[in-house]
Amino acid sequence: MIVQAIGASRCPRCERIVVPGARYCPDHPVAMEPATVPGIGEIVSFTTLHSPPEGFKAPLHIALIELEGGARLFCHGQETRGIRIGSRVGVESLDGVFYFSHMSYADRARLFWRRAGAGGEKVASITKSLAKGLFQGRSGGEG
Amino acid sequence: MTRFGRRDESLPDLIAEAGLAALRDAGLERPDALVVAAMNPEEFTGAGNYGSLIGTHFGLAQVPSVRVETATSSGVAAVYAGFAAIGAGLHRSVLVVGGEKMSHLPTPRVSEIIGRSIDPHERTYGTTMPALAGLITRAAMHSRGLTLREMSQVSVKNHDNAARNPFAHFRERVTLEAVMESRLVADPLRLYHCCPISDGAAALVLTDERAPVRIAGIGQGTDTMAVRYRSELTSFLATQAAAQVAYGMAGFGPERVELAEIHDAFSPFELISLEDTGLMPTGKAGRATLDGETALDGRLPVNTSGGLKARGHPLAATGIAQIVELCWQLRGMAEGRQVSARVALAQSIGGLATNNWVTLLEARP
Repeated sequence: MIVQAIGASRCPRCERIVVPGARYCPDHPVAMEPATVPGIGEIVSFTTLHSPPEGFKAPLHIALIELEGGARLFCHGQETRGIRIGSRVGVESLDGVFYFSHMSYADRARLFWRRAGAGGEKVASITKSLAKGLFQGRSGGEG
Repeated sequence: MTRFGRRDESLPDLIAEAGLAALRDAGLERPDALVVAAMNPEEFTGAGNYGSLIGTHFGLAQVPSVRVETATSSGVAAVYAGFAAIGAGLHRSVLVVGGEKMSHLPTPRVSEIIGRSIDPHERTYGTTMPALAGLITRAAMHSRGLTLREMSQVSVKNHDNAARNPFAHFRERVTLEAVMESRLVADPLRLYHCCPISDGAAALVLTDERAPVRIAGIGQGTDTMAVRYRSELTSFLATQAAAQVAYGMAGFGPERVELAEIHDAFSPFELISLEDTGLMPTGKAGRATLDGETALDGRLPVNTSGGLKARGHPLAATGIAQIVELCWQLRGMAEGRQVSARVALAQSIGGLATNNWVTLLEARP
């Protein structure tokens, strides 16, 4: 998996980052500056709509995801099987629409090496959840 | 107010029915001003300029009128506008009316129109109100320990109360099993956790004269239109801010409240809102509901009217209908469901908790 850079905006006053980019900060009447954030994050919550509005097919999977750096965004996903609140997911933008996908153990391992030395705690927790997943014999999501 | 439910009358006729009943009750023929709440009358009925339309419809064409809108909390926003006008000395009496007529349209069309109160970007992901409520419910189950049984009991209780209210949309009771096994709408939310599509109108008269019930406090709270801009998903900052203003104005806190009408458009919202208003300690509202504390004969009866879930939710009528129910209760006029209370609280949610209100009412001795 290649981590995609997601287009965002940053408020020069409060440093808040929003996705997708916006002209003004929701909390300050000032223009925002362009920024990018890595397309990796955690599931804040998710739902499956069984009678979605016009233009969408049932079942419609929608997730709210918090990216590294704090910005949250809505995403569509292929499925929610194996997904939990707090699951690590990759986010990519296709034709201007955000999609999430569960990160496979291989993806997580790659992240592990990329980040080794960056943040001890995060690395430890990735290792831990990887080990836990393997131990319980759960099949990882296909990243 | 009118009976809520599927109604054949036009929206102006429904509003006139409620408005004339309120004027009669107040012994008033012509108020100094008219405030009209309507959320989406253009889309639902094709008519606009609603302040003037309503004034002309039932003989108040020469009375100054305005229309007020804050999505699903429009009714209370109209009460606030009337309250402020009287407080400022602009008028001595104000008729506040609100209503919605939507059951004549197919459900997907109604959902789409109501959904226009959601952030436009988020709507492109198919996020209807039930979808966002489903996200919030799942997060609350994860982080606050909310259970399916607790939120289902809210629906059971509110249907029980509505069975005693002749103005309610639903008069049938439902069992806990029926709620828990109803079809999934937006996982984990099920059909019987969601309010129905109702027609109806409600009205009240505000006056600077001594009346049997007074508004002790009224507060507004707002939050971002975009749910993705919020760091907190399982409580509504807009309710907390509104409650703080209302309690501040009243000079007392939640400990004096003996009765409440809460915005249960989705039954978990009743539990979240009971905690946001300080009426229940954080994380305790579900257990309290299962223990019967919020039932008609409980320590703090909640939604004696049946709430949005069972009395029904004709959008702009709802905030006014909540206050009408509390006034009837405080005046001893809630036949068949009367409780004993002197101080009551109404809480109303606009949009996905973008524009919320808390009102405190007190019976005069």
